[in-house]
Amino acid sequence: MADEKKMVRVTIDGSQYEFAEGTTVLEAAKSVGIAIPHYCYHPGLSIAGACRMCLVEIEKIPKLQIACYMTVADGMAVQTKNERVKKARKAMLEFHLVNHPLDCPVCDQAGECGLQIYYMQHGLYISRVRENKVKKTKKAVPIGPHVMLDQERCILCSRCVRFCNEVPKTSELGFFSRGDREIVDVFPGRQIDNPYSMNVIDICPVGALLSKEFRFKTRVWYLESALSVCPRCSRGCNIFIDFNLRRPWKNDGRRLSRLRPRQNDQVNKWWMCDEGRLSVGFVDDDDRIETPLMRNGGELEETGWKEALEVAAGQLKKCSANQDMEVAVLVSGWAANEELYLLRRLLAECLPGARVAFTVAGNFAPSEDKILRKADKNPNTTGAGLLGLTDSSKEVMTAGDLREMAAAGKIGALVIFYHDPAGYPQTYGQGWAEALGKVGSLIYVGTNSCATSQQAAIVLPAAAFAEREGTVTNFEGMVQLQNRAFGPLGESLPGWEIVQRLGVALGGNFKYSCAEGIFDELAQKVEAFKGLDYRKIGPQGCKVKTY
Amino acid sequence: MPVQFDDEKLEQVQHLIEHYPQKKAAIGDVLYLAQKQFGHITPEVEIYIASLLDLPASYVHQVVTFYVMYLQKPVGRHLIMLCDNVSCLLCGAEDLVARIREKLGIGPGETTPDNKFTLWTVECLGACEMAPNLLLDEKFHGNLTPEKLDRILDEAE
Amino acid sequence: MARVKLISRFFEIQDSHLLPIYEASGGYASARRVVTENWPADKIISTVKASNLRGLGGAGFPTGMKWSFVPKDHPGPRYLVVNADESEPGTFKDRQILLNAPHLLLEGAIIAALSFGAEDAYIYVRGEYYEPVRIMEAALEDAEHAGYIGRNIFGSGRTLRFHLHRGAGAYICGEETALLSSLEGFKGWPKLKPPFPAVKGLFGKPTIINNVETLSYVPIVIEKGPEYFAGLGIERNGGARLFGVSGHVKRPGVYELPLGTPMKELIYEHCGGLHQDRKLKAVIPGGSSCPVLTPEEAETVNLDFDSLAKIGSMLGSGGLIVMDDRTDLVRVLHRICKFYSYESCGQCTPCREGTGWITRIMTRIVEGHGTSQDLDDLVDIAQMIMGNTICPLGDAAAMPVISFLTKFRAEFEKAVKPSKKSLMSEPVGA
Repeated sequence: MADEKKMVRVTIDGSQYEFAEGTTVLEAAKSVGIAIPHYCYHPGLSIAGACRMCLVEIEKIPKLQIACYMTVADGMAVQTKNERVKKARKAMLEFHLVNHPLDCPVCDQAGECGLQIYYMQHGLYISRVRENKVKKTKKAVPIGPHVMLDQERCILCSRCVRFCNEVPKTSELGFFSRGDREIVDVFPGRQIDNPYSMNVIDICPVGALLSKEFRFKTRVWYLESALSVCPRCSRGCNIFIDFNLRRPWKNDGRRLSRLRPRQNDQVNKWWMCDEGRLSVGFVDDDDRIETPLMRNGGELEETGWKEALEVAAGQLKKCSANQDMEVAVLVSGWAANEELYLLRRLLAECLPGARVAFTVAGNFAPSEDKILRKADKNPNTTGAGLLGLTDSSKEVMTAGDLREMAAAGKIGALVIFYHDPAGYPQTYGQGWAEALGKVGSLIYVGTNSCATSQQAAIVLPAAAFAEREGTVTNFEGMVQLQNRAFGPLGESLPGWEIVQRLGVALGGNFKYSCAEGIFDELAQKVEAFKGLDYRKIGPQGCKVKTY
Repeated sequence: MPVQFDDEKLEQVQHLIEHYPQKKAAIGDVLYLAQKQFGHITPEVEIYIASLLDLPASYVHQVVTFYVMYLQKPVGRHLIMLCDNVSCLLCGAEDLVARIREKLGIGPGETTPDNKFTLWTVECLGACEMAPNLLLDEKFHGNLTPEKLDRILDEAE
Repeated sequence: MARVKLISRFFEIQDSHLLPIYEASGGYASARRVVTENWPADKIISTVKASNLRGLGGAGFPTGMKWSFVPKDHPGPRYLVVNADESEPGTFKDRQILLNAPHLLLEGAIIAALSFGAEDAYIYVRGEYYEPVRIMEAALEDAEHAGYIGRNIFGSGRTLRFHLHRGAGAYICGEETALLSSLEGFKGWPKLKPPFPAVKGLFGKPTIINNVETLSYVPIVIEKGPEYFAGLGIERNGGARLFGVSGHVKRPGVYELPLGTPMKELIYEHCGGLHQDRKLKAVIPGGSSCPVLTPEEAETVNLDFDSLAKIGSMLGSGGLIVMDDRTDLVRVLHRICKFYSYESCGQCTPCREGTGWITRIMTRIVEGHGTSQDLDDLVDIAQMIMGNTICPLGDAAAMPVISFLTKFRAEFEKAVKPSKKSLMSEPVGA
């Protein structure tokens, strides 16, 4: 075929391989498991060739060459670990450390620092620097709403400068002056405040650019990671949830320490937006609902699941049987596919006359750009649509219509999943508090206490996205798996389990033991998901058939 | 005073841009123009030039801070650029620095209290056969002796 | 050997920078010939190749061969860039040409541009050369007025526009790809190679960068023929060149001599020997980047590219710095190191950190706190910079360190204390 790349034969460290013409030596070596150390190279950015850590020996070329820039050629022989290369590599590392401050004890990057890691792998020499190090002006200075700068730690790899030039294209950062007086900085008086500013923290190999939010919260070696998907919008950027269970006295006892983007070439490449990164504090906030609540007299009181579900089911059944009153459910794109599938079954089998409403409105302003952010601030609107639960289906009404019905006193029982319309008139519209006040029995399913839950008769605590396994479908039809990082807080339960127990309380036949089991059935029953399972979805997701 | 070029200077900028296929290539000469008018290049000047050439302000600041001859801080009425690189050092540049300290009371990097002279020691000026050398503002003086230096400084207004 | 007066004859003609005087001395005849006789590009290139003219800015690359690297089928535009950023310490020959023979340079540039089809030529002059810029501005105006540059040059219908561009004080802009970055409107950051400028250079187009002196010989090669020029010099080292001598000689200045002239002759005959009849201690042969020579080496080597390369040094920019026996070589090396660390662009780690480190060690040594371990470290650090940087500035910074410390070790040892074996030199668990 015309655009098939020509293959060339290359020897690396004595072994022969074949690579596509045009591949860099570094990427070629990486693809066969040979790691060549580097700082300035990043697959998502232009090539700088500045750090010189990736120098390798290429037969017939007298000078060492940088692997990140040199492309493979037929018959090329590369040495990545002979004595000459090792000596040069050590020297390049030594140059990086000449002016680097010994900040490890107070630097967040410790434990995931490019200098520490390469020093242990390729250095292990005694320093012979007997001079004063070059001092730079900005040490531990915020240069944006989320980014802290330490110019002395900077190794001038230029990843951050290239990122701002090439991804958000906002060019806030630059390298000023020259020689070893060179510094990275923002323009005098300005900030790095583009919506993707925190990516520079991830790509900075050292502790020069650090997160203000994460600063001094936890040492990274106490963190464990779970592979998940950001719940902030319908893009579904792949993430790592870094969480701390081992030192619960750190960081005010918060389990979720930070999010980092995870590479997915089809979804978010290497990046994620700041909004997504910073929107998951709710998981450990003090207003998490930890037990089921029931209104007794005027107040919401703690109760047990059994009692709460019995009462809820009872009220739903009573309302269902009553001709003059409607049962309604406000569905959310925050719910995972598994939960929504069970909800669909529950509605069909246990509450056949119930009215279903859906809205993409949420707690966040619908910001959107051409990079990653989508205006739909729900991770699973598409999943809900494929399962027939969004207002693209003829049987589902808009939230506005639901509010009108409620305001007219026609709703006898309403189950709201995750939405807080009473608390966010700017996105849901005015009049929700009054309308909800006229609902006979308001049942709220959600994670955090809010204006809507405060009006409910029964509150059922749900697990946050990080506390349960589940799949979400992004706006392009990618089904992706959110793994469970840590256990649901208190007595909260994964959404699918709440629906299951409610279904059972309503007399239905629900016997699922885990989210994966639900998905397997869903994949059989729903055309779009045919042929998929958790293994196929894997860590990089899989497109549904219809997209 | 607002940071702005008058119509004549804007025409000059236009003329400079026409020498290159890309606007930003004119930045070097536009910065010299700005320096002549404003004395030195402040962040406000950089923002103005950035707008003239469709560049990010940080880009302009990178250029200004890289090159020695773009002044980020004001200098005295007369800038003495004295070479003390190898040939000039071999031929007595240090005596001239000492003479300036004696006569004007300033060392390299400093300005006289009356703001008349600023002294910089600089790299090779490309006139080594006349070492030691200096540039006083835009005029070159070579084959210097402390006495000749005295005369040059005295003649400067 | 006798001095030649090819370029340097213009240094002795009054007002030779003015067009009428230049023309009266035969100026623009070669360019006129090449244009009006419609010399094909290949003929220009083969003529210059046969002359053995090599780049005189420092690298010594054969000029005709460089011009032939421009791809013939490129749609254009193509650019000629004149490197007048002369900043190598000890070098001052291009200044002479700019002041006294600007039209000779323009004439050479015209011929060069025709050899590969450039219609725009940029002259990048260092910012500190105020007088040369003024003279060149006037020369360009006069040449355009006379119809030798601009539109319809020499009535041929061909175009060759010249643009003067001032630098702003950065030695690195003398490196050809850094010059391009600067000319394109940015910091003087060298570019990764390949692609080479002849294929993808200024604004991404095929570009030839030539030194002022190199181009100035081109009209002479055309006028007198390549055989004459090649014959002046020695095999593979064409013709003559301008040697600049400064430092401790009686008659510092520019001397045009055939390549192959013994350095002894230049120093003792043409320059009159060491000032005050002192003894020679050391010579830097071609600008501060070139490895320093001992008196024995200086008094036996010939001034050509190959001979100097053979003894481990370089002809470079032809700027000799002569040092007498009172010279403190430790301070000289210190000053050289300061230069490179000040001028390092900062893009790549070994040069940026290494030159600064070397300078701080040298500062400690001149202040009296050095040890002989420092001397070993200096050589090792310099060797780790060499060959590992984006551009040759790293090598240029390393070579003086290595050569001074190797050839004059005794003097440096006198400046430092012997080092005690430090407890820190072995790992704790060893």
